[in-house]
Amino acid sequence: VTLDTALPPNLRLPSNLVDPDRLKRPPPSEDSSLPLIRKCDAALPAHLSPVRTWVDTLESKDSEPLGLTELHPDVFAVTPRLDILHAVETWQRNYKRISHASTKVRSEVRGGGRKPWNQKGSGRARHGSIRSPLWRGGGVSHGPRGPKSYYYMLPMKVRVQGLKVALSSKMAQQYLHVVDSLNIPTPDSQYLLELIRSRHWGESVLLVDVSEEFPENILQATENLKTVNLIPAIGLNVHSMLKHEAVILTLDTVRFLEEKLLWHDERYTFLYPLKLPYSDFP
Amino acid sequence: MFALGGLLRVGSTFFHSAGNLLLPVRTISTGSCCQIRMHAIPQPKQVDRWNEKRSMFGIYDNIGILGDFKAHPKDLITAPCWLKGFRGNELQRLIRKKKMVGDRMTTLDRHNLEKRIRFLYRRFNRTGKHR
Repeated sequence: VTLDTALPPNLRLPSNLVDPDRLKRPPPSEDSSLPLIRKCDAALPAHLSPVRTWVDTLESKDSEPLGLTELHPDVFAVTPRLDILHAVETWQRNYKRISHASTKVRSEVRGGGRKPWNQKGSGRARHGSIRSPLWRGGGVSHGPRGPKSYYYMLPMKVRVQGLKVALSSKMAQQYLHVVDSLNIPTPDSQYLLELIRSRHWGESVLLVDVSEEFPENILQATENLKTVNLIPAIGLNVHSMLKHEAVILTLDTVRFLEEKLLWHDERYTFLYPLKLPYSDFP
Repeated sequence: MFALGGLLRVGSTFFHSAGNLLLPVRTISTGSCCQIRMHAIPQPKQVDRWNEKRSMFGIYDNIGILGDFKAHPKDLITAPCWLKGFRGNELQRLIRKKKMVGDRMTTLDRHNLEKRIRFLYRRFNRTGKHR
């Protein structure tokens, strides 16, 4: 009797899923010499300590990290809730979906008002119109009807928590990197690709900056690249974070995200829709 | 073809004479199956997972949360105007379409719409278990 201790084929993972070079750089230790560039603005709860990450530059390919940043644990170190990620991802796919599949019912198909032959006497089966669903060319009885929408909204706090969980998961798997700003020396796409390769960031990179205006160089460099994409901070969403392997945030983006996402933890519930004016908000 | 073989297999005895008839007798098909003929296995279709639409999918979905609630994600949907940010069953969709777009429709479309609304109203409210 042989004991088969190997996993069955449907549970075996390929060995090249995780790139070992990416995990070579450990997170910053307590006593590192680099300066702490940014501290958390919001008040931290007493039992949580901030997450520390390196701050890199895009200026030169082989530069050392500029310093350290502190990130709020309630945004970048929440418990990884896969069910919330799944819910937000399916919501993003489906709320915009309009299915235009449409068929005609027997009343809408052209023709078919007259009884084709007498009820009795002809020997053929009895029929009332040539467009009934039994006939070739007739209407469809229970087919898709007209443009149909699959719109629904998840509660706001679920969507906010989905963003927080996605950011924390990227942080935990060391796919999240902080950069001081998106200034590049040359508008060359090759430079960006070599920089990403040398730092082992991954195959696809999502660059996020706060402002709508980006520096010319990075705009030109990312224009022709398919897997390196540039979005403003307002456009951040769970689907893009899951699609791209690495997510690069600037320091301003981190501040903006923390401010927007932490507000929902301690807000009162809305008494009336946000379309109407509030005196103390935005 | 295969039905013939199956019937013979079910009713066959253990004699050799029945064994000859286990395979289908005909070598050409006479029916409506096997109509699609191919010379080779078709090539799998090449899907570009990183084109513009796919790489930018879902962007600005959180424009409310991250953008001071000046816009709502339902404003981003491209749809016929009576379906933007609305979900309903067929009767509700048709009533909304008639309310919003009814005067602009062609006479034939309007007539079919009204017939369908009348039919669905009677079906939902007068027949079946849930009236």
